Amino acid sequence: MHETREVFRLFPQALQIAFYLVGFATIFYFLFGSYKIVQKYRKGRPAGRWNQLGARFMKALGTMAKHSTLSKRNKYVGVAHWLIFWGFVVLFIGTVIVALDHDFLRFMGVHLLQGKFYLWFSLFLDVFGVGFLVGLLMMAFRRAKKPPELDYTRPDLPQGKYDRKPYVTDDKIFLWLLFFIGLTGFLIEGLRIVGDNYPSFEVWSPVGWMLAHALDALGLSAKANTIFIYTWWFHAVMVLGFIAYLPHSKAMHILVDFANLMFKDDLAAKRLPKVTEEKMKEGMGYLKLTDFTWKELMDFDACTKCGRCHVACPARASGAPLSPRDLILEMRTFSEIKAGTLEWFMQAESNGWTNKKEPAIAGDVIKADTLWACTTCMACVEACPVGIEHLTTIVNLRRTLVDEGNMEDSLQDVLMNIGDYGNSFGQSDRMRAKWTKELDFKIKDARKEEVDYLWYVGDYASYDQRIQSISRKVAKILNDAGVSFGILYEAEKNSGNDVRRIGEEGLYEMLVEDNMAALEEASFKEIFTTDPHTLNTLKNEYPEFGGHYKVKHYTQLLIELIKSGKLQLKKKLDYTVTYHDPCYLGRYNGITEEPRELLQLLGVKLKEMPRNRTNSFCCGAGGGRIWMDDSKLEKRPSEMRIEEALALGEVDCFIVACPKDYAMYSDAVKTSGNEGKLEVKDVIDLLEEALS
Amino acid sequence: MNIIVLIKQVPDLVEELELDSSGKDLDREWLKYKVNEFDDHALEEALLLKEEHGGTVTAMALDGQDIDKALYAAAAKGADRVVKITGLEGNPSNHEAAKAFANAISGMDYQAVFTGVQSVEDRDGQLPVLVAHYLGIPHVSVVSGVKIEGDKAVVYKEYGGGMMAELEVDLPAVLGIQAARETPRYVPVARVRRAMRSTEMEEVSAGDVSGAAAGSEVARMFKPETGQGAEMLEGSAEEVADKIVSILKEKGIV
Repeated sequence: MHETREVFRLFPQALQIAFYLVGFATIFYFLFGSYKIVQKYRKGRPAGRWNQLGARFMKALGTMAKHSTLSKRNKYVGVAHWLIFWGFVVLFIGTVIVALDHDFLRFMGVHLLQGKFYLWFSLFLDVFGVGFLVGLLMMAFRRAKKPPELDYTRPDLPQGKYDRKPYVTDDKIFLWLLFFIGLTGFLIEGLRIVGDNYPSFEVWSPVGWMLAHALDALGLSAKANTIFIYTWWFHAVMVLGFIAYLPHSKAMHILVDFANLMFKDDLAAKRLPKVTEEKMKEGMGYLKLTDFTWKELMDFDACTKCGRCHVACPARASGAPLSPRDLILEMRTFSEIKAGTLEWFMQAESNGWTNKKEPAIAGDVIKADTLWACTTCMACVEACPVGIEHLTTIVNLRRTLVDEGNMEDSLQDVLMNIGDYGNSFGQSDRMRAKWTKELDFKIKDARKEEVDYLWYVGDYASYDQRIQSISRKVAKILNDAGVSFGILYEAEKNSGNDVRRIGEEGLYEMLVEDNMAALEEASFKEIFTTDPHTLNTLKNEYPEFGGHYKVKHYTQLLIELIKSGKLQLKKKLDYTVTYHDPCYLGRYNGITEEPRELLQLLGVKLKEMPRNRTNSFCCGAGGGRIWMDDSKLEKRPSEMRIEEALALGEVDCFIVACPKDYAMYSDAVKTSGNEGKLEVKDVIDLLEEALS
Repeated sequence: MNIIVLIKQVPDLVEELELDSSGKDLDREWLKYKVNEFDDHALEEALLLKEEHGGTVTAMALDGQDIDKALYAAAAKGADRVVKITGLEGNPSNHEAAKAFANAISGMDYQAVFTGVQSVEDRDGQLPVLVAHYLGIPHVSVVSGVKIEGDKAVVYKEYGGGMMAELEVDLPAVLGIQAARETPRYVPVARVRRAMRSTEMEEVSAGDVSGAAAGSEVARMFKPETGQGAEMLEGSAEEVADKIVSILKEKGIV
């Protein structure tokens, strides 16, 4: 017996030719669709992502092979997609081998698919084919349960103003088309085995073998070869249909998302893109499609509507008119309309902009309210399994709004204050170090004396009355520990982290210039700050302007002091606490363990909230939100977070490590009616207690 | 519709104010300056009208502390021309300032002159009326909101008792603006920087201001004594807040 199978079994010559003709036409259509996609990206500006191609490729390959981003916080989907993905890849490679063998190698006298190779080939494809079907069924089952991620309701438009049924149709077609392609493939195998009267080596196709017996049991063995032909064509039409459908549908992610992962910037959102000299002359932000970089245009296509960002977003959760998913999808619709429509299943939108000849991207396509709702907490970027950088698009569009003066009065006042006095409080810059007056020692002026650590204090820690006492505690503890540290006094200005995220790039650049000049005057070895926002921009963004500093968070410094014995803890604290990871500390800069280690050293019992570390939930203050009106929100993110902490039960303190968090959560405990149930404390409050 | 807007820099009240040795003026050495808030409203109203009716907006100021910054900011917001009047020494009176402005304006093509109703520095409120006097054209002051109808302006004034008045005035006229219809716009730093590079600062001589004497002068400047019946709460923010709460409780308000 010869172990192989006949390609085009029972096929007359004419039908074979017909198949090849249709096949070529389909592939041509597919290639044309793919070419159009590439052409669209070529309209974008350079993104500066062609460096380190090898490393980028290997990293993306690893992520894809392991499904690490997909499995994060959702094992079920991770497993299901892994099965579908690897099933698809193996079946695709199998098909390529068949084509190679039949269409090319045959004419060179080589025949791969026979003997042992054929047997292992059969087994391999069967196993992965089963995985493929199981994965698809798992996804279908999940869809039937309607998880919140897959709810296409938009938070920014009333029901009836838009129609997303095409999305649902696409989801269904994609899933079931793949499923039936897989199923008919197995059927063809079973029918072939019955038709060939069970060649014994075909047990190496176990699924086909079992199906053959099942078909027999149904009494279909006599008609097996006739049914085979029909099933074969049904299978073939579905496969060709899928190939044609691929560049115009949800399936496009097969083409785009590896590249999107590969070209993702590791510092995306942490370091926002500069505005080019040229752009500065014509209004900072994005006005037309060709203002976007090709990576940003690719972002719009990469979205699979998985909804992870939609669920993670604090703005969406609080009833603000923003969903990062919907923002990306709206931009996709816009880019499709502008660059020539390829998408077969587009959302129908009747909010007006599609009828306008030249709709404003920031204003019409994406509403100003939507853009201003973002807290820049980066949960969307962190949650996205395929490397979409929502935040760069949001900030670039905000830049347009700022240029047009399209913002709340309160925000405008703050920007003017920062421009005039270098702080958001609108107080004289000469009062910046006033909080130090109550100390019984003088903090060194780093401009006049050499110090080991320069403390970049920041606006809230300097000017907010509630936080000044925290700043004084930090100062006192460091002084007692004999740390050589100093501040910049009135020369320090707002570091600009949030100014940049508001979209006021000109003001940001001015602040960077002034602050770098002040830092230039001072002599120090390292910088530390209590403010994660300041930490982020100093560490990730100032280097692009030539400011290279070693920057630490105070929790890191405090641990070093305890470990080296410079700080002697006198007692263990017996509180039960929960710790809130500030977005700019945990998610932005990966500093999640040091504050916990510090709490552990203090002896407190730490209960984790469900959303912790890089999955922390924003307090709602970032990206300038702290200066905007939050009275229209259904529920403030900070209040939701306090309730998340209270749900843990028996927690005494809500521990923060960020000045803005202290302000936000002290308020939230009161406004949510939970005063007395939970005390908001800074880590330094606990440390002070343990030291005395 | 060509509008000339007169602006002025005034001491920034965010800083602690000190008197100089004469006791008749502020110690200006350490002061910071910013645009007089009412002038900012005047500029905003002019820019809104330009957006509605076309024409030009010219920002004009007497030379002085940080005035270039203010004029460039006006250009960045949308003023087409910026004019600096030079040649007046020291701190001119409003009479002299008005004469200088009138000298500069008289040769220009304009339909209206806007300026802030008063400045925090002198609470005088006389500049608009004096400019109108020297130019020999009508004047309305304490205006909040302007509409242009042909060669007339319809202006709104807030009277006492919550009444609004609508007045018609022939153009050209001088309007002392109390408030623009919208909050004065924010001008991004990038635009100011651009304006500094691309805007031509015109300089005009103040001309003859003789005979425009003020007729009054500041005899003394001082910080008022705390009046009777007012109790100043001293202490830290927390202590003050506690005292406020206990007073409110005492009075049965909360």
